[in-house]
Amino acid sequence: MSRLLSKDFLSGVMFIVFGLAALWFGRNLQMGTTVRMGPGYVPHMLAYIMMGLGAIIVVMALLTSTGERTEAPKWKPITMVTIGIVCFALLFERAGLLPALVALILITSLGGEEFKLTEVIANMVVLAIMCIVVFKLGLQMNISVIRGVW
Amino acid sequence: MDLLANLSLGLSVAFTFQNLLYAFVGCMVGTLIGVLPGIGPVATIAMLLPITFHLPPTAALIMLAGIYYGAAYGGSTTSILVNLPGEASSVVTCLDGYQMARQGRAGAALSISAVGSFFAGTVGTIIIVIFAEPLTRMAQKFGPADYCSLMALGLVAAVVLASGSVVKAIAMVFLGLLFGLVGTDVNTGAQRFTFDVPELSDGIDFAPIAMGLFGIAEIVVNLERHLTRSGAIKVTSLWPTREEARRAWPAILRGTAIGSILGVLPGGGPTLGAFSAYTLEKRISRTPEIFGKGAVEGVAAPEAANNAASQTSFIPMLTLGIPSNAVMALMVGAMIIQGIQPGPEVMTKKPDLFWGMIASMWVGNLMLVIINLPMIGMWVKLLTVPYRFLAPAILLFCCIGAYSLQNSTFHVMQVAAFGVLGYIFARLGCEGAPFLLGLVLGPQMEEYFRRAMLLSRGDPSVFIQRPISLGLLIATAVLLVLMALPSIKKARQEAFQEEG
Repeated sequence: MSRLLSKDFLSGVMFIVFGLAALWFGRNLQMGTTVRMGPGYVPHMLAYIMMGLGAIIVVMALLTSTGERTEAPKWKPITMVTIGIVCFALLFERAGLLPALVALILITSLGGEEFKLTEVIANMVVLAIMCIVVFKLGLQMNISVIRGVW
Repeated sequence: MDLLANLSLGLSVAFTFQNLLYAFVGCMVGTLIGVLPGIGPVATIAMLLPITFHLPPTAALIMLAGIYYGAAYGGSTTSILVNLPGEASSVVTCLDGYQMARQGRAGAALSISAVGSFFAGTVGTIIIVIFAEPLTRMAQKFGPADYCSLMALGLVAAVVLASGSVVKAIAMVFLGLLFGLVGTDVNTGAQRFTFDVPELSDGIDFAPIAMGLFGIAEIVVNLERHLTRSGAIKVTSLWPTREEARRAWPAILRGTAIGSILGVLPGGGPTLGAFSAYTLEKRISRTPEIFGKGAVEGVAAPEAANNAASQTSFIPMLTLGIPSNAVMALMVGAMIIQGIQPGPEVMTKKPDLFWGMIASMWVGNLMLVIINLPMIGMWVKLLTVPYRFLAPAILLFCCIGAYSLQNSTFHVMQVAAFGVLGYIFARLGCEGAPFLLGLVLGPQMEEYFRRAMLLSRGDPSVFIQRPISLGLLIATAVLLVLMALPSIKKARQEAFQEEG
């Protein structure tokens, strides 16, 4: 079982999955001939080679038991950072820089080990002032701080 | 004398007020981000890419080069003061640099590293000036098949010398090549892997990929590790003692020589240079036992070597358009965004940009010494800011930077997506660098491959009939075979274990 969780085995699987995805989504691309290659020729070729390499990695991982085990991921940081950036992207144009900033800082700070609300608020204030001065006033970027207000 | 004419052209470009300013700003922000613990030059450059986009090409490249040197310099500072290397190439600096700092010689270690780097940078720049022209002239004789083989060699060599598992790294190159194909096919206009998203029809933008893969993933990994500070060390006098200076000089000279040579090799670059220089110093020293306990040579040689190598690693990139490591891949990406296709044409068609950038490298190195040494106190203060404040701040600037590329939140979403992908890569022990190299070279390589096959009427033997191409392919094959030999495999693993 532990072999199936080794870094090598899983990365081999990842390459095969990406290869299959490339073949599936590229299934309508013309292959063309070797003289006049269509848009699908090189992608297909790359996908097959990559899947071959993935298969080699998988087989080697199964044959050797020394492979390094994948560490169990800590879900909090990566989830919080990703959610934070996505929220920023969703809020930035609809609501403005300030709401997006508050959401991003709050959510990503929750992903860290220590969380003190006063500190996070202080961080927000400092960064908000800095961003407004640098991007809005300094670089004259065409962004709204709070949509409809400023 | 052509050399002097070129050099003076370059200096006249570099010494305009505007370009000096960009070099200065680049060095400053590069150092600013580079001293933040756990953030190396690749992540720094990736995150700062957006600020150079709206500049004219020459200014943008000058600024990027400044950012690179600043980031590398910042990395040495953190290695010496808090024992946290930002990148593989300054791991060696930690060994003796931090020990020197603990013995109260932090200032001396910093100034030796700065002066050594500057000297090495100067030599590196001279080497670029000498070799750029002949190499470019050689590259102009290359046909499509030769280029394709050259890229194959560059990619394989970069992978072999990089680190970790070779098969995995090669698979990562292919994955990068595939991602590079997203967008409209140049020859037929067909949409490839665009999923009807209009933003993807020009291909996936390079900057969000780099920011997500390196910047975001690096921050997440640092958050997981829960970085704790060992308390920054006070810096007192910057002057080395006479004894220290006497021991540092020869080491700097040797380090420069090794770094300059290894930097030109694809995949060589700063890390290999620094490690080899350290090993050499230890081997020829009459007192090898002091290494690891604060030996001056152990700081001087690797610092000189990694800077010489970062300089000469520009040679294959500027003359052939082949990036030899992740930093150079970023530079190539930045050039393409600016509408410049790196390769031999750059020197002939845009001599002011080419020579101006080279001269600016030297100017940037000089600036680092005169600006940063007096400002060391400020950088040290920055080191004491806890990571829980820094991480959200860096993320925020990344988001705004990504948005500013095209005023589109789609780019911010891409950063998030590639952050997740980068995290998966890191967890599975897959290197991001080969992926980036594949991504940057993908479109060109396909183009050359298709053109070569068209010219040969579909006969793949064109790759072995042209002597240049054949030679390059043989070299590639030899490298791959060498890697499979058990004795070399073992030595290579040992070398990388020392690093980790």
